[in-house]
Amino acid sequence: MTVLRARGARFARDDRELVAPFSLTVTAGETVVLAQPDGAAAAIAARMCAAIVKPTEGTIYVGEYETRLQPPQCKRLIGFVDAAGFEGDEYAFKCEVAFRADVWGLDSRAAHARGRAVLEALGDGAYARGVALALVPDVALVVLDRPASRVVSRVRALAPAAGILRTR
Amino acid sequence: MSRLRATLAIVRRHIDRRYAIDWVMQFLLIGAISFVFGRLFADSLEIFGIVGFVAAASVIDRQHRRLLRRLTFFSAPLYGRQLARAHAIAPACAALSIPLAYVSGAALAGRALAANVSLGLTAAALVAATIALSSAFREGYRAALYVALAGAASLTLGLPFELRLPHPLAQCAALAALEAFFALRAFGETLARYDPLPEPEPEARPAAKPPRRASPASRG
Repeated sequence: MTVLRARGARFARDDRELVAPFSLTVTAGETVVLAQPDGAAAAIAARMCAAIVKPTEGTIYVGEYETRLQPPQCKRLIGFVDAAGFEGDEYAFKCEVAFRADVWGLDSRAAHARGRAVLEALGDGAYARGVALALVPDVALVVLDRPASRVVSRVRALAPAAGILRTR
Repeated sequence: MSRLRATLAIVRRHIDRRYAIDWVMQFLLIGAISFVFGRLFADSLEIFGIVGFVAAASVIDRQHRRLLRRLTFFSAPLYGRQLARAHAIAPACAALSIPLAYVSGAALAGRALAANVSLGLTAAALVAATIALSSAFREGYRAALYVALAGAASLTLGLPFELRLPHPLAQCAALAALEAFFALRAFGETLARYDPLPEPEPEARPAAKPPRRASPASRG
């Protein structure tokens, strides 16, 4: 099953091309690497695939939803991890888990348990906390912005059915 | 998903200890200014202008801008209008400290404002804060224009009192509802159109080096 399909997606701002057109397909259970020339382009491309930044041209579908037209439906299926991870302390992490439980409509206790379980599997650290937050809801696609290789294999073990897109 | 649950979750993310301290400090500061300098502003329009500009300024501080721009909110499965409504609640509550403080300061100084003017000021602060929210996603003169617009909208709410029109509070409330409605719509549009791009990295790439094209996606 295809979880992400990008066709000619590019991003430009003030006539400057920040992300060159790219096309890719990610199916469930598959890991795909999207290479970009620099960190800024990788970050924007990851956000485009996570329906956070709208492509200037081209289309990106998450499942059957288009990121520009139906961003909430897309975001419901996505766990996004920024390159900086989650830099807050333990209390902020708990608040963030509670926030996700409320917004995604999850059982609060189960969400906290899931967050803790992921953190135990990944070890503590900003990126691990970011992954834990991304995996609190049951997602079909995980978008990892410039992760370490060992993180990707652990995310794969934690979410075997999800498609994983990582930028580099 | 319950909309109310999501809205309350966002409000909770806005409200922390700093929020309460800001509220009290703002109240004390405006109260003191009203107590000492209130006699200089006998005109309704001046008071509405002051309250509106201060309410707008309270929304646009850097910390608040950063909070509104957090990726957490943009990665949540919510429409722009839902985010806008939820984002507006905490700043609107914060802005309430301004008319409350102004009215309290004036009353303590023995120049109590009429009840309908006090209610009009409350509406003006709410409207100004809601309009100024859109400036958090703009830079430079565009952001300043929203603050000016917030102040101007607040001034218009003082007009029914200044011109001594019949039922000034009802006219003020009707105008405030209209302005707040359009302000929230505009803020929702702003959020829906906003692209949260990453902050520029500290080490700048050499300008002369041409950017490489993105390599095609690979299976990993």
